[in-house]
Amino acid sequence: MMRTRSKFPFKAAAIMAALALYTMVPFGMSSYMQRVINVMMITFLCVLSVYVLLGMCGQNSFAQAGLWGVGAYITANLTMKLGMGSLPAFLLSTLGTALLAFLLGFFFFRLRQYYFTFASVGLMTILNGLFMNWEPVTGGAMGYKDIAVFSIFGFSANTEISKFFVILLVCIIAGLMMRLLSKSSLGRSFMAIRDDEMAANCMGVNSLLTKSIAFAISGALCGAAGSLYASLSGYLSYQSFTFQQSTMYMIMVMLGGTYSWTGSIIGTMIISLLQEFVRPLQNFMLLIYGVGIMAMMVFQPEGLLGGGKALYDYISKRRKAGSVAETGL
Amino acid sequence: MTISQKDGKPVLSLKQVSKNFGGVVAAKNVDLDFFGGEIVGLIGPNGAGKSTLVNLITGIYSVDSGTITFKGKDITRLPTYQRARMGIARTFQHPRLLDRCSLFDNIMLGVDLARKTGRVLKQDIQSDMKALLRQCNMDGMALEGMISQLPYGQQKLIEIIRAILGEPDVLLLDEPAAGLNSSETRYIVSLMEIAVKQNISVLLIEHSMDLVMEVCDRLTVLNFGYQIANGSPSEIQENQAVIDAYLGSSRAC
Repeated sequence: MMRTRSKFPFKAAAIMAALALYTMVPFGMSSYMQRVINVMMITFLCVLSVYVLLGMCGQNSFAQAGLWGVGAYITANLTMKLGMGSLPAFLLSTLGTALLAFLLGFFFFRLRQYYFTFASVGLMTILNGLFMNWEPVTGGAMGYKDIAVFSIFGFSANTEISKFFVILLVCIIAGLMMRLLSKSSLGRSFMAIRDDEMAANCMGVNSLLTKSIAFAISGALCGAAGSLYASLSGYLSYQSFTFQQSTMYMIMVMLGGTYSWTGSIIGTMIISLLQEFVRPLQNFMLLIYGVGIMAMMVFQPEGLLGGGKALYDYISKRRKAGSVAETGL
Repeated sequence: MTISQKDGKPVLSLKQVSKNFGGVVAAKNVDLDFFGGEIVGLIGPNGAGKSTLVNLITGIYSVDSGTITFKGKDITRLPTYQRARMGIARTFQHPRLLDRCSLFDNIMLGVDLARKTGRVLKQDIQSDMKALLRQCNMDGMALEGMISQLPYGQQKLIEIIRAILGEPDVLLLDEPAAGLNSSETRYIVSLMEIAVKQNISVLLIEHSMDLVMEVCDRLTVLNFGYQIANGSPSEIQENQAVIDAYLGSSRAC
């Protein structure tokens, strides 16, 4: 490609090192904290789903926790009622949620901008209502108990550490797919819609289809997260899949910045860990988030990562200032 | 350049196209044919309906009456993206690029379009891209850079390059030279020449009469949505109705 590349892949090396370091995190932790970390990674997948929609495609959905629930309930039904294995249940949950999101998107995206957001709020409410009341499928208010843990080829992820690696693997795959997506023509058409929908249409981008695909991809991420959540916690309750949870995802994305999918990592980590470490302040958390987000929008609208990138650009520009930039094609 | 009127079928043809906005006539019974490899100038005072005509051709507005035929097919009711895929490219009066993306991603959007339609027949996109950028003296630029950091003139050039890389049959340029300095205007002209060489039919909306008279093979003049004259640049210069409506007043100032 024409892009300029540095000789040594510093970025890749740094990512690998960070990842290697991260795999050591759960060792020596209490099983409670291990669980917190696991839930955090599942949350990350949902946050990534918001990133795809909002960060890449510019569409705002408050239904992500609902889609997360759809994935979880599909897995619960498949494994408990049909006795399906973990992996096929995981794949079907992912695909099923993606398909549902695609079909819904195909109707919803006839609405533009804010109206889609309103519709997504309605969807969230309906899904939550279904989770609570559709007893034969969702277990109603009682939910599901004793969902089988994730197991594959005789290996059973019954400890928090083994669950950690299963979820991490899914997160890494999701991350790699995000990277591919952001460099693909599909990703570019998402970004074209985000930045200027009319110009995108004039460049041959089919808004309705492209947005529906974006919603389907975000649905797939939520479905995967839901499936993992079902087999991780073993217990499902409609109370997990709420509008408020969707809002939290949104806050995490905005905190990290919609600049790049890596912002979602930062946003998820900060908020998830904050929730743990400042538990005594639980009652004030919403207030803190609210004020925090407002301050963020005023002072750092591109999120923490956006600020980081601005700083990086500034430093590298100053470094280059002496010699004329020799970046060619 | 090329001969003004060609034999054979027009690539794009407007028949009796009309559009009203409430009581305002934006286009009234406009007839216009475009042939491959020529530059048609569309001129007229502000508010004459020039941009509206481009929006009608690209399908951003729907026509009230009349038909638009493109490569023998009636596209009057097709959505914008399908017309773009068939080969109608445009630029905007103010560049509409992907503000939060790099120069590379912006240009690649054009290549994506060409790929989507299977229109990329040429061996090497990279060299095409390079050649086009070189034409505008922009080949030394870092493609990773954000598009929003570029000066206005270069953004307008990038928009045209993006459109040409989409391998269109028709290229609609809405005031490409407005707000540009003289060297950037020269780049616009050379990009138009490249388009003409590729047998693209170019529609040029422009207020700078010098530019229009220099590059256009044919001119059509709009005033309050009505087509008041058609002809070669020299014929238009002589046309009394045009002088009254447009040239006279603009030359006076």
